[in-house]
Amino acid sequence: MNRVAAVARAVVADAIRRRIVWVVVLFSLVLAAMIPMLPSYGVGVADAVYREIALAMTYVAAMVVTLVLSVSRIPVEVERRTLYSVLARDVRRWEYVLGTWLGITLTLAAVTAAFGGIIFAVGWAVYGAPMWMLWQGVLAIWMEAGIIAALCVAVSTITLPVIVAVAALAFLFIAHVRADLLGGPENPLWYAYPSLDAFNIIAPVSHGSGVSLLYLATMVLAFVGWVGALVFLGALGFSRRDL
Amino acid sequence: MTPAIRIERAHKRYGGATGFVAVSDVALTVNRGSIHGLLGPNGAGKTTTLKMLLGLVRPSGGTFEILGEPAGPAVRARVGFLPEQPYFSPLLTAAEVLMLHGRLSGMAPSEVESRTGELLARVGLEGREKTRLAKYSRGMLQRVGIAQALIAAPEVVVLDEPASGLDPVGQRDVRNLMMALAEEGTTVLLSSHQLSEVEAICDEVTILNHGRVAAEGSIDDLLNVAGRTSVRARGTAPALPAEVQSLMEDVAVSGGVWVFSVPDSAVRATVDILDDNGWAIESLVPKRQSLEDYFGRMLEEPSRMADAGVVS
Repeated sequence: MNRVAAVARAVVADAIRRRIVWVVVLFSLVLAAMIPMLPSYGVGVADAVYREIALAMTYVAAMVVTLVLSVSRIPVEVERRTLYSVLARDVRRWEYVLGTWLGITLTLAAVTAAFGGIIFAVGWAVYGAPMWMLWQGVLAIWMEAGIIAALCVAVSTITLPVIVAVAALAFLFIAHVRADLLGGPENPLWYAYPSLDAFNIIAPVSHGSGVSLLYLATMVLAFVGWVGALVFLGALGFSRRDL
Repeated sequence: MTPAIRIERAHKRYGGATGFVAVSDVALTVNRGSIHGLLGPNGAGKTTTLKMLLGLVRPSGGTFEILGEPAGPAVRARVGFLPEQPYFSPLLTAAEVLMLHGRLSGMAPSEVESRTGELLARVGLEGREKTRLAKYSRGMLQRVGIAQALIAAPEVVVLDEPASGLDPVGQRDVRNLMMALAEEGTTVLLSSHQLSEVEAICDEVTILNHGRVAAEGSIDDLLNVAGRTSVRARGTAPALPAEVQSLMEDVAVSGGVWVFSVPDSAVRATVDILDDNGWAIESLVPKRQSLEDYFGRMLEEPSRMADAGVVS
């Protein structure tokens, strides 16, 4: 695992120095800080609306950063031959793929944690009470971003960044329209459909009391399953590729 | 002792049964502690051969061994590789690049740190550990590439065009570095277009053309012209004695110094004639063509290269 960690560390060192990541982060944070100034708040629901918009903004920003970091990472390293000197060592292709995903996902953890900290602090300052449930939403967003990063890394082992971006956006769309397409669990295709709806907990976090620990555990299991499958497929595709 | 690198019947076909054959039946043996040159024109199959050896390209066939073991990931921990025109993230520093490659080779962080300064000094980048690579010139990146290849003190170093992008002083430094590595017992496999560099430092060479081995052997065996001796003589006369003129070939004159070749059987007579006519003999050496001449002739007239060492 040392080699996976070494690749991940290099990915993090590279990613956190990308200016575009911090531009997206700062822009989103400024917007988040301005949410309480929106004029359409109704009395008594203002904090719920704040939570909903703040999490939605966190989601969008996290997905943008995910795509920025993961769509071109491997194709560029192949094109520029950066990874020749890496893979010519005692490094298996799967270790490189896993390390790349891990590095991106750790960077995303830092980014979403920064978002979470700011929207939590703004919410506390403006509404006078800590909104602990926001962290559940942030965790779910980070896990979904990690899955999208795994998808991007997997697809990018065999194709070009543009196709990876299109595939990721298409998957994001498809993964959130299960209910619209299939109706409900009575549909036989319901459980076979590639859905990420389990990670969409903005509504219960914003307007309710969040989700249970059992639900969080289920979410973590789904995260591990998705990432495991996608990284496996990515490693499989990459292991068969001539560089 | 097993060779440092042994490749047998290497074969690579791209694009299925009717696809393009990049490498066909290539064999290569690199002895331990030697500097072995791998030469060939663009598209000859050099880089593909190296990539198959290092696991970057899946061979269609053949046997690849490093230090007596199948060339898998485990033994590659003992190999350093410099790709052609290496590129590293411009956002990283040289120290971070070396840390990554050192860690990938199983070194402890403290070990990498202690070796980083020494290694960067060795490649001429002393004190530049913390500088981001975005501020490095092309030649400096090449030096970082060489440093990463050497970070884990490998027993075998594979260098693909190590002098690419370097100025003449940098090229000399790299040449000296390769010779120093060989003196330390490290095996160097050098793929290069710099024929003068190869001729100067390689013990043996393998020449590829159209994906096949076109010639192999020691530099001397390949370049010495059998049966002829090169004579270098100095004199004040406007022309060489008539008896010598009838024997000589490949004549070059500059500032009263004549260089020409004669048959080995005529060396004694030539020396006597020149001596009798007041000429000073500066050197007598087996006639040797330049690697450039040999290489160019081989590529232009492959069918006539049936000399010793040339593989059909």
